[in-house]
Amino acid sequence: MSPGPVLDVRNVSVRFGGVAAVRDVSLQLRDREVVGLIGPNGAGKSSLLGALGGQIAVASGQVLLGGQDITAAPPYRRARLGVARTFQHTSTFDGLTVYENLLVSALGAQGSGLRGSLAGGRARRQRLAVAAEATWSRLREFELADMADRYGAELSGGQRRLVEIMRCLMRSPRVLLLDEPMVGVAPHLVQRIQADCARIRDSGVAVIIVEHALEVVEAVCDRVVVMASGQVVAQASYAEAMSSGAVREAYFA
Amino acid sequence: MSFYASTLIVYFFVDVLLAWALNLQFGWGGIPNFALIMFQAAGAYAAAVVSLGPDTGVNSFQRYVFGASLPFPLPLVIAALTGGLLAAVAGSFSLRRMRRDYQAAILLIVSLIAIQVVSNAVGLLNGSNGLTGVPRPLSGLLSGLTYDGYQWVYAAWAGAIALAVYLLVARLGRSTWGRALRAVRDDEDAAATIGLNPLGLRMQAFVLGGVIAGLSGGLLVEFLAAWSPAAWGYAETFAVFTAIILGGVGNIWGVALGTLLVQVIFLQVPTFLPQVGYTGLIDALQWVLIGTLWLVCLAIRPRGLIPARRYHAVPPAPGPGTGNPR
Amino acid sequence: MLILQALGFGVVSAALIAIGAMGFTLQFGLTNVLNISYGGVMTVGAFAAFGAGELHLPMALEVAAAPLAAALLTWLLGRTLFAFYARRGAGVFEMVMVTLAVSLILQYGIDAASGEQIYRFSFPQGASLHAGVFTFTVTQLVLVALALAVFGGLEFLLRRTRLGKALRAMAVEPRLARTCGIPTGKIVNVVWLLSGALAGLAGLGYVINSLTIDASVGTGFLPLVLAAAILGRAGSTRGAVLAALLLGLVTEEVAAAGGAEYSTVAGFGILAIVLLTRPAALAGQATAKAEITV
Repeated sequence: MSPGPVLDVRNVSVRFGGVAAVRDVSLQLRDREVVGLIGPNGAGKSSLLGALGGQIAVASGQVLLGGQDITAAPPYRRARLGVARTFQHTSTFDGLTVYENLLVSALGAQGSGLRGSLAGGRARRQRLAVAAEATWSRLREFELADMADRYGAELSGGQRRLVEIMRCLMRSPRVLLLDEPMVGVAPHLVQRIQADCARIRDSGVAVIIVEHALEVVEAVCDRVVVMASGQVVAQASYAEAMSSGAVREAYFA
Repeated sequence: MSFYASTLIVYFFVDVLLAWALNLQFGWGGIPNFALIMFQAAGAYAAAVVSLGPDTGVNSFQRYVFGASLPFPLPLVIAALTGGLLAAVAGSFSLRRMRRDYQAAILLIVSLIAIQVVSNAVGLLNGSNGLTGVPRPLSGLLSGLTYDGYQWVYAAWAGAIALAVYLLVARLGRSTWGRALRAVRDDEDAAATIGLNPLGLRMQAFVLGGVIAGLSGGLLVEFLAAWSPAAWGYAETFAVFTAIILGGVGNIWGVALGTLLVQVIFLQVPTFLPQVGYTGLIDALQWVLIGTLWLVCLAIRPRGLIPARRYHAVPPAPGPGTGNPR
Repeated sequence: MLILQALGFGVVSAALIAIGAMGFTLQFGLTNVLNISYGGVMTVGAFAAFGAGELHLPMALEVAAAPLAAALLTWLLGRTLFAFYARRGAGVFEMVMVTLAVSLILQYGIDAASGEQIYRFSFPQGASLHAGVFTFTVTQLVLVALALAVFGGLEFLLRRTRLGKALRAMAVEPRLARTCGIPTGKIVNVVWLLSGALAGLAGLGYVINSLTIDASVGTGFLPLVLAAAILGRAGSTRGAVLAALLLGLVTEEVAAAGGAEYSTVAGFGILAIVLLTRPAALAGQATAKAEITV
């Protein structure tokens, strides 16, 4: 069905000063695919994610989203084109309520026009109503409706993670990048987020997860990409990667 | 007594404009604008020079640029525009992604240096002596009024402007734009990942705040008829920060209350009391107390007297087709 | 000719800025508190020396009074007031506001106590020495030598001694340093005292050079010191010295060429250019929560 990869990473390198954090990495991501990005600390996983999200400048290579070159696009423009991501550190909007965290994301760039928000108007009210509706149904879906009025600052670590993921989903992204989504998350919520990942994939989103907990990777990923010292050393199914010894080599080399 | 009252009321409206400008920039936009007072000064100088008439030359008792005699209310419009323009210029290099304490320090430096330039470059805005003799607006038309009567008319005029700005900032605060701005304030990177342009939103808030601050400067200089570098030291900016933090950052009414307490009651009322000690002693001690007040305020009530209001989301009535059965 | 002579003034200016900026950057790099009250502390140091002079104390005591008073004050502020707010979870911006409040209290407290007067600061300038077009007084040369000595001393301390190595480790990874058994409390004490002493010296040098003193000398001098520390990157003494040299030379050259009123503007111009062209220099830790260690 799908003609090409939704995300096409071609020979991407990232450098910090003289240090090459990512070297000549190529990978492709298809619709409805969850890819686990694994490897030891310092392998360049987060840098690669930054290069895909636009937070980190690419030294060479190309990033294509649905065939469109987004290598030079700033993060907010990539977001408008359909790239969503979470960060390793918590990044909820702490001075906004949970509801507002999602609503502001649902509206995105549409809500941020100064003239539009002052002028009002019917079309605008309608859009707001649609966004509010979507926010409530997302809150119910994740069973967080009774927390709608809590400030981001008042949530636990795991709840923040959920809000961050929900916030991404409000964008109806084509590609979702998750950077260690399970860090600091209580065990019962890990199960939840795992289940949610599968559901997200089934709704037509392509997902890349950077994760250290291999059992999580095994449970949710269709495929793993193993990185070591900035390079991709293996791309295979989880079982194949494990049996081939590539993972062990990457971690213990 | 009536004179004092009308003067204090004008001060309050001018100060509340400045406080709302800072609330917009800092409270909602997260920009620690330590140069705030510079934007008010820009508006004041702009309104002054375009109503003072052309500079009469070397023998004149004061020298300045862009002299003109524009009719009311053009000087105020120019004051607002100047504040906004200066904000666009200052914002072009100070709003980039950087640590907030760096940003504060850079804006503080900009403000301190602007004062030095204006004080030392005499031909620009008459140096440290400042400008005097700024004509009061419509004084010809209102010449039938007593001095006291004019004061009250001016207070009402200032109040009308404050009301207009209130309506604007209240609307901005509630708007989706305001929410997007607060998202940028809370986490710039995350805001970008939901499609918001952090630099653009901040710049809009900064320029809007600059416009309001410039307007407040124009309003003040036409009332005081004089303006000089002594009126815009960094301490003045600090007083506005103290006012909005004491009142409640992010809450328009809290900010107004803080302004009333700090700027009017604490800073202005004592100037009408009898003199104690040498000239300036009370001023100096006031600043010492303002500094202390801030330290106490941060220690015991960091969110202010009237904290920002929590947004209460109302769920839609559950009906057929809405909600998720799960 | 004038331009060349201005180079000489520039070096003296740079020396004063450098002493201040090294103290500032040392403290900022370690504690992460962008300490605006540093300006007020410079004033306190200058006034301590002025007071000692008024009391006709020996010159050695007069000179020592500045760093001693400033060091003590900075240490007290850091250990009591700043530590109090840091314990309550104040972020980097709240700490700036705290130090700004202290700055106001110091400046206007001195203002009130000194009767809002500008005093003459008499200090022996020594003979004038000529070398080509350059003219320096002995005192000016001593100030330049002092700046070099401070730089050498700090470099030695930071790179060659155990304390300095521990200090650098702590500036990078405070939490790790603590768990490694580095005496962090002691190091913070040293840094507050040292940076305070340098603030006092810078304040003293400033009034020796300008020959007048009032309550706003330190806060007036602060922008250049801050600009040097920011340009040179927080925590880098070498960067601070280089930036100070640049700022000192440029401000004096501009003063010689175009009038004194534009000299600080030029300094600011440099800062603006650097900000516009090298934003990355300041972008570090933009979102990462910088840990305050006081």
